[in-house]
Amino acid sequence: MTPYLLKLIPVLLVFGGLLNVVPLLVFLERKVCAWIQDRVGPNRVGLLGPDSPLEIFGIDSGQRRFLGGFMQPLADAIKLFTKESFVPAGADRILFTAAPFFALMPPLITYAVIPIGPDLLAGVYNIKLQVADLHVGLLFALAVASLSAYGLAFGGWASNNKFALLGGVRAMAQMISYEIGMGIVILSVVMSYNSVSLRDMVYLQAGATALKDPATGALTGMWAGGSNSPLGWGMFHQPLAFVLFTICAFAENNRLPFDLAECEAELVGGYHTEYNSMGFGMFFQGEYIAMLAMGGLIAAMFLGGWHYPGYGVLEAASPFCAAVVGLASFAIKVLAFIFFSMWVRWTLPRFRWDQLMSIGWKGIVPLALANLLFTAFVNLPVQPERKHLGGIVMEQRDERKPG
Amino acid sequence: MSTDDHGTPSTGSGQAADNAGQSHVAAAHGGHADTHGHAAPAHDVRQQTFLEKLYFPEIVKGLSHTLKHMFNKQFTVDYDGSQRTNPAKNHIPRAGYRGEHYLKKDDEGHVKCVACFMCAAACPAECIHIEGAATPPDWKNRERYPKRFEIDLLRCIYCGYCEEACPVDAIALSSTYNIVSETREAKIYKEEKLIADGEKLGLSLSHHHYRPDGVPGALPASKEHGH
Repeated sequence: MTPYLLKLIPVLLVFGGLLNVVPLLVFLERKVCAWIQDRVGPNRVGLLGPDSPLEIFGIDSGQRRFLGGFMQPLADAIKLFTKESFVPAGADRILFTAAPFFALMPPLITYAVIPIGPDLLAGVYNIKLQVADLHVGLLFALAVASLSAYGLAFGGWASNNKFALLGGVRAMAQMISYEIGMGIVILSVVMSYNSVSLRDMVYLQAGATALKDPATGALTGMWAGGSNSPLGWGMFHQPLAFVLFTICAFAENNRLPFDLAECEAELVGGYHTEYNSMGFGMFFQGEYIAMLAMGGLIAAMFLGGWHYPGYGVLEAASPFCAAVVGLASFAIKVLAFIFFSMWVRWTLPRFRWDQLMSIGWKGIVPLALANLLFTAFVNLPVQPERKHLGGIVMEQRDERKPG
Repeated sequence: MSTDDHGTPSTGSGQAADNAGQSHVAAAHGGHADTHGHAAPAHDVRQQTFLEKLYFPEIVKGLSHTLKHMFNKQFTVDYDGSQRTNPAKNHIPRAGYRGEHYLKKDDEGHVKCVACFMCAAACPAECIHIEGAATPPDWKNRERYPKRFEIDLLRCIYCGYCEEACPVDAIALSSTYNIVSETREAKIYKEEKLIADGEKLGLSLSHHHYRPDGVPGALPASKEHGH
């Protein structure tokens, strides 16, 4: 029974965390927007004081607000839950109801293969902080993440609304265009790591290339508390891929400046024009979880996953502490990406449709191809040595049992 | 052929890869360049430099600009409700703000209004209801006064025409902007309330009157735009 229960811990950690962090991101989004526009942002519904949720239960918590605005997402959620779920006339009822699920589930599933932390050694138990350590994790993530375009397309099609349809079509076309660039970018990343497993990538970024000292056979690198500098992170090995992947991530998530599928100015709300109550809420959640998923992929591929300077030293002292701090380090990296995307959103205007397409096809695809070629040439001489590296990392990890 | 497309971020990172330049872009958009060409003649569009075409330095510039704004002073006035009881925290609207009405009194302490119905006639929202009557015998300076003077502030659009129309300068718009109430009835202002409001506000806020008449040195003449 125990292995199953242990397996449950990362599952609860990942999915519980994801679903609960979304309201906070909505709050953060509104705050960042307000700060950039020299405003205050939501500052009323706090934890304590007037307008707080305590007031609903008739508890008087004083006149001073504490963390004002922090509970605003809760108020929003209550509003969304209590609204009438309305299906417009002429809409395809089944598809209309199903579309939000298609938008919400894929990003959640993507997170299954993203490693959020190292092995958590608690007593005799070894908890791997990743729901599914697939050997082809990156491919799985790519395959699943692009499924969410179906949600947007279904939603647009089923709404019986031309704005929604246009939004859905745009979402699809955009997804296809940027998926290609993203695929090529990922190909070069895979080539330089020589592995498709996201967990391998994270280990490799911490210097696991020098796993065994050839002379003594002793473990070096992070295993021995050795060098763990951020210079080993993917963003320094594949800077162009990092930039291109970030751009593609924005486009995949339909975030500004690529949010042509929603595009308030032209398409009312795009694919979710006709949605209300939790249907809309799920699209919203899906969008934020997709951001989290892209942030997780970027953190794992380019930002060293859960690693941080001093990881090796701390791990030598207390593996458990190192793992917990690593979890926080991963979360900080993901949040940094999300803050960046909010920052970009409230800075840049939206691209025109032809600009979007020309950036995708004439900018990202050729640059990604050039990067792929360059990576291939650079990696050619070291290929024989590194051939089985991914396998070695796997073995080393599996050998590392407590005891 | 217009170089319209160069004025916009269309070049993006794409231009770095195939720096085919103007002719290429113009050819790619030949169809719609013609339709938009007239709106932005070619000589009006500044040629972008290479760095601008790359778009990335511009993004960084924009991001640093918004980053600066994140630490700027926030302009929002914290309207937390304490303003209702603490006038010192009241936000003072700019001169010429049109808030709630009040009625003025003459030297004898009676309402200035002569019930001429000019304000009611001028009102586009038809929110002023007046019932005139002959003045009591002890009112020496005029013959008529409003027996009933009501303003339905739920209909009022705060245009200030009543103030413009009044021949005896009896009605005025104050700068009171806090116009909420809990019932509809409370928003139908009776004569007594309007006079009382005038007594309360009359002098202290008189320099914010919509109309400068009778208030020395109040507003620039440019406020005279009503009609």
